[in-house]
Amino acid sequence: MRTKAISLVSTAALVLSVAACGGGEDSDSLTVTMWGGQAQDAHVKSYFTPWGKQADVSIRQDSPTDYAKLDAQVKSGKVSWGLAEVEPNYAKSACDAGKLEKLPERVIEAAQKAEIDPAQMNDCAIPILQYTFSIAYNTDTFGDAHPTTWAEFFDTEAFPGKRGFWKYVTGGIFEAALLADGVAPEDLYPLDLDRAFKKLDTIKDDIVWYDTGDQQVQLVASGEAPLVQAWNGRITQAAKAGEPVANEYGENLISYDQIVTPKGYDNVELAQDWMVWFLENPEAQADDVVASGYGPASPQAVDLVPEDIRPDVAGGAAVNDQSAALIDYNYWAEHYDEVTKRFNTWIAQ
Amino acid sequence: MSLTKSVSTGRSVRPRARSSRLRAYLRVDGWGLLILPLLVFLVVIFVVPLGMLIAKSFTDPTVGLDNYREIFAESLYLKILTNTFVIALSVTAVTLLLAYPYAYLMTIATPMWRTVLLLLVLVPFWTSVLVRSFALVLLLRDTGVLNTIAQDVGLISEPFPIMRSMKGVIFGMVQVALPFAVLPMYATMRNIDTRLTKAAQGLGDRPSGAFWRVFVPLSMPGVAAGLLLTFIQALGYYITPAMLGGPKNTMIGELIVQQVSTVLQFGFAAALAVLLLGTTFVLLAIAGRFMNLERMLMGRS
Repeated sequence: MRTKAISLVSTAALVLSVAACGGGEDSDSLTVTMWGGQAQDAHVKSYFTPWGKQADVSIRQDSPTDYAKLDAQVKSGKVSWGLAEVEPNYAKSACDAGKLEKLPERVIEAAQKAEIDPAQMNDCAIPILQYTFSIAYNTDTFGDAHPTTWAEFFDTEAFPGKRGFWKYVTGGIFEAALLADGVAPEDLYPLDLDRAFKKLDTIKDDIVWYDTGDQQVQLVASGEAPLVQAWNGRITQAAKAGEPVANEYGENLISYDQIVTPKGYDNVELAQDWMVWFLENPEAQADDVVASGYGPASPQAVDLVPEDIRPDVAGGAAVNDQSAALIDYNYWAEHYDEVTKRFNTWIAQ
Repeated sequence: MSLTKSVSTGRSVRPRARSSRLRAYLRVDGWGLLILPLLVFLVVIFVVPLGMLIAKSFTDPTVGLDNYREIFAESLYLKILTNTFVIALSVTAVTLLLAYPYAYLMTIATPMWRTVLLLLVLVPFWTSVLVRSFALVLLLRDTGVLNTIAQDVGLISEPFPIMRSMKGVIFGMVQVALPFAVLPMYATMRNIDTRLTKAAQGLGDRPSGAFWRVFVPLSMPGVAAGLLLTFIQALGYYITPAMLGGPKNTMIGELIVQQVSTVLQFGFAAALAVLLLGTTFVLLAIAGRFMNLERMLMGRS
């Protein structure tokens, strides 16, 4: 008898706990997942909450975006993320693999009207923000004479000190190495990896790796690594907060994040409503530029940004004119895994 | 509470008797039911996922041993696995050397000093590992507190690199591991009857002899517990080595995270985890041959 009771209780407990894992979304809510931190707060305040009020939709948040979780949601058919901020190479691969909802005609039309660079779109994704991989330098270490090109960034004799790089293959490190080695910007892709690794070997002992946005700021600001290939917005904000850091935009590499809807999300219509609203509202994007330090998806938003911060806006003329290239995420979608493997082996050697 | 097991009577088991034996084996008295919540919890949270993990390592993306073959095909992965064990063993050794005298000091100190010593161990223990690791970064980096002071007083002219090397990793991990070694050691040492060492001296042994031949053997259960806790924990460290080590000090935890969240190779990550688990069991089995772990851990002094 007791044995039976035990098995009954445990079965019930199992069923209950499994049932509790099931999610599901109310019909009038939208869950947004981004990278977290202050940037997410700014994005939500600038262009999710205002839309939510207008459309009478409650905005829920999650963070950070995790591709493993996203894949697991799609695979299990229990999708709780309505909009997810992702990297474009992931968006491309996931879209091709059928893990994301395709953009409907109305979103594509809105993107055209917003003058979105077609190179920053794909069948499932629109860009949500832009930034650049710039040369961040410590202003105490390098007063007036700081590196202005990647060739100078790689010159440890003229500019002694550690170099900070993102420990991540799509962080612009190979593009910078090739530019430093004299490859013309238009010939960057497909990347000559052998040549890039050879160039990186020349400064390998001086490289300090970072994983997060905070680490890169700490590295430059403390002088631990007075030169860092950084995300410009982080450096701009640190400079604003009084840290001795600055961006050099010479040969900057423009990058962007995209926003997508995982396949099978219940309120996919709502997510797409938001995309249209976002693209039609350069004002909201401009608010986000001020709040987050990231460049807007639409070039129309740049003119709405206060004049004094325009020189630091990715996507704006001041930054764009000095840019060497736009990161080609179609290349990265195809080669990400293989280069990641080679890169990890290289750095651990 | 008792979980009663039927005692084998030595007679051969006939098919008819088997079911009644099974029933006897499963018989639990009323108090035994108290274990049920924990049992359900462990099954749902630990046993089932572990089974899925092991299954995944053999089936994702293809059925077979491909994931394991891949680990052994790339020398980097074996290097990281070796690295993991070397770091865990070094951390355990350094922790033991620091924790044993510390715990001993706690047993002989006056109550006031004992409280101070205990607090010094416990306060970091109550602080988040993440916070402590960040604090260590500020302390240890080339432009950090230690290097700046040493340079200012003229001890060194160039920063002495501690971070981004094995030194930094061990420094940070020992700091995190210390309470896990000190506390079980102290708990054991506290209960050792000090009259025993006095008796040894009374019978003619030198104080150092009495310490090594009487006190140390009696403290072994605590040492074994501390060592095991430190070692097994150290194998899975992820944040501290990631923050304080360089790329050459990558531990397997970091590699697994990388596989799961950046290249999405669940099966391969599962295989790495299973390999770590398997290797740990093998090492414990080897250790078990040389010392009676069960008795050392469960034994009373």
